[in-house]
Amino acid sequence: MRWRAEKHTPFLLLSPAILTILFVVAIPLAFSLYTSMTPYKLTKPDTINTFVGLRNYVRLFSDDKFWWAFGRTILFLAVALNLEFILGLGIALLINRITWGQRTLRTMMMFPMMFSPILVGFQFKYIFNDNIGILNNALQALGITDGSIAWLVDKPLGMISIITAEVWMSTSVFAILLLAGLFAMPRDPLEAAKVDGCNPWQVFRHITLPFLMPFAFIAMTIRSLDVARAYDIVDVMTGGGPAGRTEVLWTLIARVGYDNSKMGEANAMAYVSTLLSVAFTYYFFTKLVAARRYMGGAE
Amino acid sequence: MKHTTLKLLAATALVPIGLTAPALAGDFDGYTLRVKLIGGAQYEPLYAEIEKWEAETGATVDILSRKNHFELDREIKQDIAAGTLDWCVGSNHTSFAPQYGNIYRDLNELLDPAVLAEFQPLALENSTVDGRLVQLPRHSDISNLYYQKSLYEDEDNKAAFLAEYGYELAPPDTWDQVKDQALFFANPPDFYGTQYVGKDEAITGRFYEMLVANGGALFDEDWNPTFNSPEGVMTVQWFKDLYDAGAVPAGVMNYLWDDTGAGFASGTVALNLDWAGWAAYFNDPDASQVAGNVGLVRAPKGAAGIRSGWSGSHTFSITESCDNPEAAASFITFLTDHDRQMVEARTGLLPTRQSVWDAVKAEFLAEGNEFQAMVSETYAQSMAEDAFTPPLIEPWIEVSNEIWPALQAAILGEKSIQDALDDAAEAAGEIMEDAGYRN
Repeated sequence: MRWRAEKHTPFLLLSPAILTILFVVAIPLAFSLYTSMTPYKLTKPDTINTFVGLRNYVRLFSDDKFWWAFGRTILFLAVALNLEFILGLGIALLINRITWGQRTLRTMMMFPMMFSPILVGFQFKYIFNDNIGILNNALQALGITDGSIAWLVDKPLGMISIITAEVWMSTSVFAILLLAGLFAMPRDPLEAAKVDGCNPWQVFRHITLPFLMPFAFIAMTIRSLDVARAYDIVDVMTGGGPAGRTEVLWTLIARVGYDNSKMGEANAMAYVSTLLSVAFTYYFFTKLVAARRYMGGAE
Repeated sequence: MKHTTLKLLAATALVPIGLTAPALAGDFDGYTLRVKLIGGAQYEPLYAEIEKWEAETGATVDILSRKNHFELDREIKQDIAAGTLDWCVGSNHTSFAPQYGNIYRDLNELLDPAVLAEFQPLALENSTVDGRLVQLPRHSDISNLYYQKSLYEDEDNKAAFLAEYGYELAPPDTWDQVKDQALFFANPPDFYGTQYVGKDEAITGRFYEMLVANGGALFDEDWNPTFNSPEGVMTVQWFKDLYDAGAVPAGVMNYLWDDTGAGFASGTVALNLDWAGWAAYFNDPDASQVAGNVGLVRAPKGAAGIRSGWSGSHTFSITESCDNPEAAASFITFLTDHDRQMVEARTGLLPTRQSVWDAVKAEFLAEGNEFQAMVSETYAQSMAEDAFTPPLIEPWIEVSNEIWPALQAAILGEKSIQDALDDAAEAAGEIMEDAGYRN
């Protein structure tokens, strides 16, 4: 009897966590997987009972609009995350050198993170407005252009404007984590390298950067999971348009699911989007493990 | 016993459930009415009146939601899906109402015909879906053409325009004249001839009203899409020509109402088709560069001699699941009565009761506010003669979501106009088929 009880103890102790995950993650995921195989319309709840198998997925995979949005989402993720990393690294290195007022700067650096994405979207929408926006007015006043640049309409500029807003909002996440890495960095290897005659670039390239990479991949992993928050920015700034030029999976899913009420089809798209996020996260996680192994850390 | 029951039934049949007479003090003592209302600065003055209804009836109003219409639409759809329609009164709109199926009551059965008779017949007609009056119109909207008066009084402009276009410069009466004048006034990037909203249902609506003005239609009688007709192509060509010529701001394809409103108020746009609610803002010296210089004419005519008149109404509906429809009916009757409509009309919103149109115009004139009196008169005329709604069909928003990206693609030159409209018409046809409107 006692043996049995001991055998079950770990499961008992784990049960709160298992139950929480079951209710918060597993059941909603299973439910949305099921609804992605129905013609479920929000305004016609009975449609949830009709099972159509993989029809939503088949329709999706043969839809050009979906694949364009899929490709744009990958482009958005790749460019935004890399830019955030590079700029965050630069900011962290600069702040690390400061000896006076560092705390104040660190706090100020986190301000953009505190803005809600909707607010950031509105802010940048008006900065990039072609007629009354401050950017065009500044460029015209400085004599850099005498025309009106359609930042939110032009094909590459639309995506660039949105990525700028996203990078402005989230670079500090990288900066904070990388700065933590810099603070935790041992001084001995740096001093040894200097004694051995390494120049600053060599010190950065062969000592500082490899040490920071695990922190960078932790930041990448976190960001790849919450980057979908950028939906609000895209929705406010361009709504995915014009003519689908800035359409990403999140704007497409919201339109199909809520505006068109086709939640079954939207859930099929959301599943693909989730798999994409998982793929990015898995990739960064493997890179994190490799970076830690390179640094001699635990796997 | 049987006779008593029959008598009771007969008596209740003679007294409609609807309490159309004004609610008496204490009628709904202790009752809490749960409502979901549209939020936003221009809607709030009316909500300040709610406490008067509470004092009159003894009921309490619990406002569960106060969001913009698109967010409210999402919330209501979630409530339908989750089966949580546990509230009584919701803000609604003529463009949105058809999608909600039968969640709302037929107000013909709930409200006194005498009360309904005080509303404009067209507003009630537009609030009717499948023969059921599912909403009570709160205020309506339609667009007319604002312009900068000084441009038309300038002698140099008059002479140059006459020489170039062969007719006198005057506020435009047709869409062709709007195009001529927009091209004439444009001097990008400092000044633009006109502007339009470029995305979402906003541009679908603008396209739709000009399509009708040009003699076209979105659908035929059997709900086959017909907007890819020559009239449809002509309509999109108008948008594209102005865009290609730089007569509209380069970013219009991303503009919504706030952008066009701010653009005209900045003094950099000559002509602007816009809603009534903007008039006071355009003429406010603290907010607008064109204050004191704003003219207004009725929306122009298209090739078919019809004026643009895309219209809709903000409304109130009562859910079928409401536990106290009498209180709900009393509440929406109160919010749309003469005095309450006056509150909204004074801020520039368009009333749905004829008596309010007359009263508010008289009030503006008595105050010496000739501009708002003129605005009121112009909009009254267009509401009475030009107003038409989009098709009141369940998949309207879905169809619109196929049309506007196609319009953008055509205007930006990513597709030919005909190809873009053909693709959208095909997609719209499938939607109408899926929704059971066509075989």
